[in-house]
Amino acid sequence: MTRWGDHLGEFAEGALSTVLLTVFSAAGAVVLAVVITAFRICPVRPLRAFGTGYVELFQNIPLAVWLVLFVFGLPTVGIRFELFTTAILATALYMASYYAETLRAGVNGVERGQAEAARALGLGFGQSLSAVVLPQALRTIIQPLGNVTIQLLMNTALAAAVGVVELTEATNRVNLALAEPLPLYIGAGVCYAVLALVISTGAGVLDRKLAIPR
Amino acid sequence: MTASTRRRRLAVLLTAVALGAVTACTSSGGAVPDSGGSANQEQSLLDRAPVASDADLATSPAAQAIKQRGQILIGSQLDTPLLSQQNPTTGQTEGFDAILGRLLAKYILGQPNVKIVNSTSQIREALLQNNTVDVVLHTYSITPARAEKVSFAGPYFVSGPAIMARKGDTSVTKPQDLKGKRVLAVTNSTGSAMVQQYEPAQVITLSTNSECVTALEQGRGDAYVNDLTQLAGNAQTNDKVQIVSGTFGQDPYGIGIHHGDETFKRFVNTWLEKIQAAGLWQEAYKETLGTVIPGDAPVPPKTGSVPGS
Repeated sequence: MTRWGDHLGEFAEGALSTVLLTVFSAAGAVVLAVVITAFRICPVRPLRAFGTGYVELFQNIPLAVWLVLFVFGLPTVGIRFELFTTAILATALYMASYYAETLRAGVNGVERGQAEAARALGLGFGQSLSAVVLPQALRTIIQPLGNVTIQLLMNTALAAAVGVVELTEATNRVNLALAEPLPLYIGAGVCYAVLALVISTGAGVLDRKLAIPR
Repeated sequence: MTASTRRRRLAVLLTAVALGAVTACTSSGGAVPDSGGSANQEQSLLDRAPVASDADLATSPAAQAIKQRGQILIGSQLDTPLLSQQNPTTGQTEGFDAILGRLLAKYILGQPNVKIVNSTSQIREALLQNNTVDVVLHTYSITPARAEKVSFAGPYFVSGPAIMARKGDTSVTKPQDLKGKRVLAVTNSTGSAMVQQYEPAQVITLSTNSECVTALEQGRGDAYVNDLTQLAGNAQTNDKVQIVSGTFGQDPYGIGIHHGDETFKRFVNTWLEKIQAAGLWQEAYKETLGTVIPGDAPVPPKTGSVPGS
């Protein structure tokens, strides 16, 4: 049993790395998603097209491909980041397209009259978006945002393939020493499940506090 | 921001992505070693290969089951030059492990009818435990910990880790030089576990050999540690990297079989001894690894000679 104890630290470091990957990628992705959503609903046509193009581009190519492109493709054009940074960058850019779609659904859920009222008060596009539409949109889609974040958490496992030592890769390494794939990967699965539970519970609490009853 | 700048920026982004895609494709495949006359040589080798008698087959239920199925399921991979690499024109796998796999198939079935099941390092034990494959025959190093989960026939080859660096870089020529360096290794390979004792600054593990070579070329690591056999394949197909050290440590390759199947283990060991005695093992080596590793074919290891086998 001592053999298992020796590797707990590695496991914990991997789990921490997974949490950091998730937090940073999610933060980046949400900020980017707000910008993309603003583009998608703004009156300027080229910006709308860019928003749509962005979402289509990132949603229709798997994250595993983006990771390989970012890790091995960018250096060939002279750009090289640390692996951890690269993984966050690729995951955030990819998941931003999913957050943006969720956010757009929330915006569509805001009643038309609200935007019209904002305009009648003399607010510009940016003001009505930030003061009237987006706050209401965000408060209606807290649960779906939680689900997308869980999807992001699961997607961080793909970073193992490009050399980032997160939970999955840590498990790979411990498995190399112990050769006990079933208990180890089940253990990693339980860790992911617990993290997902934390996200969904958090989203549930926020939803009960902030959701607008209709 | 005017519409034209936006369009230009988008164009630059798309070009970068497209360029990346092209390089990623070309670098991951690697060149295919020339295999001009080797197909004929291998055919003659297969023609001379032994076939198990009914009495031999009767000793192992696992071998009988394979015979009944008419096909042997071998866990292996398709991207390892000189060991097991798929030739895109013929679809045939080529290399030392691939030839041995076909020799084993002929021994059991009378014909080299092999189905390769792609088995990465992470899932080899599981594939054997749930009987998805009959044997794993692909640079599967025998270790005591693994031997608790799978049984190993052999060893059929003794290799060892070596160091690869960018061409002209002589800062790492022995394992002690790895201290404080960024070292690349393949996920779940014995190399990645072994380098830890030399206190590298960082061990970067990527999922395939070809990714490690690309990362080495691009300067993500200072050295790449893997088995000599794998590195020999890289050195053959890529002129930007070179092997800078001899092997350190011994890495015996075994043929993984279902844990505890002693009769099948004896059966496979008997086959191995037969092809070694007939000189077929040595011929298979000369046609594959021997084309890059200097010197004569090594003396084949004695079956059961390492702990865990």
